[in-house]
Amino acid sequence: MSVPTTELEAGMRVCARRRRHVEWLPYWLVVPSLSLILLINLYPFATGFLYSLRNGTMLQQGNFVGWTNYLALLTDSAFLHSLFFSALFAVCAVFGSYAVGLALALLLNKEFPARGFFRVCLLVPWIIPSIVSVISWRWMINDQTGMLNLILRQFGAGPIYLLSTEKQAMFSVIIVKIWRSFPFMMLSLLAALQTIDLTLYEACQIDGAGRWQSFRYITFPHLRDLSIVLWILMTIWSVNDFETPYLLTGGGPSNATENLIVLAYRLTFRRNDVGSGTAVAFVTLIILMALALLLLRRQSVAQED
Amino acid sequence: MNVSKQTRRQLTRWGLFLFTLVIVIVVNLPIISLVINSLRTTTEILSERGFWPSHPSLINYYYVTERTQFWVFFRNSVVVALTGTVICIFAACLGGFALSRFRIRLTRSYSSLLLMLQMFPIILALIPLFILFKALGLINTYFSVIIIYAVAQLPFATWMFRSFYDAIPIDLEEAAQIDGCSRLQSFRYVILPLCSAAFAAVTIFAFLFNYNEYLIANIFLRSESTMTIPVGIQMFMQQYGSDIGNLMAAATLAMIPTFILFLFVQRYMLCTAIGGAVKG
Repeated sequence: MSVPTTELEAGMRVCARRRRHVEWLPYWLVVPSLSLILLINLYPFATGFLYSLRNGTMLQQGNFVGWTNYLALLTDSAFLHSLFFSALFAVCAVFGSYAVGLALALLLNKEFPARGFFRVCLLVPWIIPSIVSVISWRWMINDQTGMLNLILRQFGAGPIYLLSTEKQAMFSVIIVKIWRSFPFMMLSLLAALQTIDLTLYEACQIDGAGRWQSFRYITFPHLRDLSIVLWILMTIWSVNDFETPYLLTGGGPSNATENLIVLAYRLTFRRNDVGSGTAVAFVTLIILMALALLLLRRQSVAQED
Repeated sequence: MNVSKQTRRQLTRWGLFLFTLVIVIVVNLPIISLVINSLRTTTEILSERGFWPSHPSLINYYYVTERTQFWVFFRNSVVVALTGTVICIFAACLGGFALSRFRIRLTRSYSSLLLMLQMFPIILALIPLFILFKALGLINTYFSVIIIYAVAQLPFATWMFRSFYDAIPIDLEEAAQIDGCSRLQSFRYVILPLCSAAFAAVTIFAFLFNYNEYLIANIFLRSESTMTIPVGIQMFMQQYGSDIGNLMAAATLAMIPTFILFLFVQRYMLCTAIGGAVKG
């Protein structure tokens, strides 16, 4: 900005002073929301931090123990495993749902009958209550009474324990998460695909480019900014996901599918160890904050472009 | 030559149709199978081989609706989700207006705050709130969940309102102000009537999210008289885990309101999907 003259500056100041009378409105407009946020997010944020520095339970405040809860986490194998599983879960959920979502978005972007109807059908996994999706999946893959194992039994094949052996349970939880999240990716990517100018493809064809090349040089660059936002968002949502692992396996077998949120829940509400539970929740928040900063920076970069 | 090219295009179109149909069926197989098997008794589910039930019956539905607390859960879900939605919509339609029409430091930081809230692990809020509400005797009351639901849907609802307001030309308000309206009056009498469709859409979305929600309800509503549907069904799952027929009927019933409401708002789906994410 060029340096304003003193007259202009004075004029701007007068304007600002005059406007100040009217401009109280936006403050009033956010008062209801801010008071709710204060009670539901900022109060717990502050007290939660204090709890994490104490060794309290649900009924007793306990003593001040400093960083002990946090330091204890560093050597706690349950915490380290949940950290690992959260990361694995998030990475697989992001790439899995992105790959499936992109493939389906590209498919639905073609011209064929009943396309709109199919699009709505493909959103079903996303909109139904988590408990319903879990019941339907448990019915498919449960140990003895699941559909998969009932069918296998008819062919004389042994049951596959998809929920009660550790590796398989981790795999199942991730698959169900991808199933529940791909519609969001599909919908967002489809919206972006529909804004691409079709003449670009024609020009590309005239220049002799094949399908892969037109995807590589037109479609993908067009989706790039949105994709990065989607990856970060899905990472945050996956790290924050409680319902998929908890309802499907309860975090088991032997805590194999326990992510940070389920661990914080178990420590607080099952083991009555509020200090450790809030400490885990704070570690999660810090991890998410790092991801959030990434998102904010990405946005400001995008806005500058 | 021209004809054969057209037939080939038709063939591709129907080929794509069939291909997508197969994908849709495979993707929705767990749900389809759940609904079909809810028409069988549990013994039939475990013994029958065919896809279709040989003696379809509504016996599971009869059991779930007559012998269990299902309707109590349903009423609780509706009360909690609806009241939470109303509070959320009230706060969000005002906050969204501030974000849309006043580009000042306050609204910029408020916008970032909302974004931060999206990252906030809800469990971190729930632990101190549980202790607080327990001290105040608010566990197993609707209030505890309603107030949290109102905030949980606030960021997305505010962004949605903001994008609807952004689409309304500011000239309309200025015209009203020249005619003597205050800023708030022009909002009330000019803007709000123009967004009635938006209101309906955001309301239904917020209601859907609240209705589907499990974690918050699970922590605060532990007694059978206040439980919502997801918590109630999860309790069924633990109590009669082996009685999958009833469980499937309960799950199918729980989905019905979701489907009906979803059909009204599916064309607005896109706004929620990326509206909040891409706007600063």
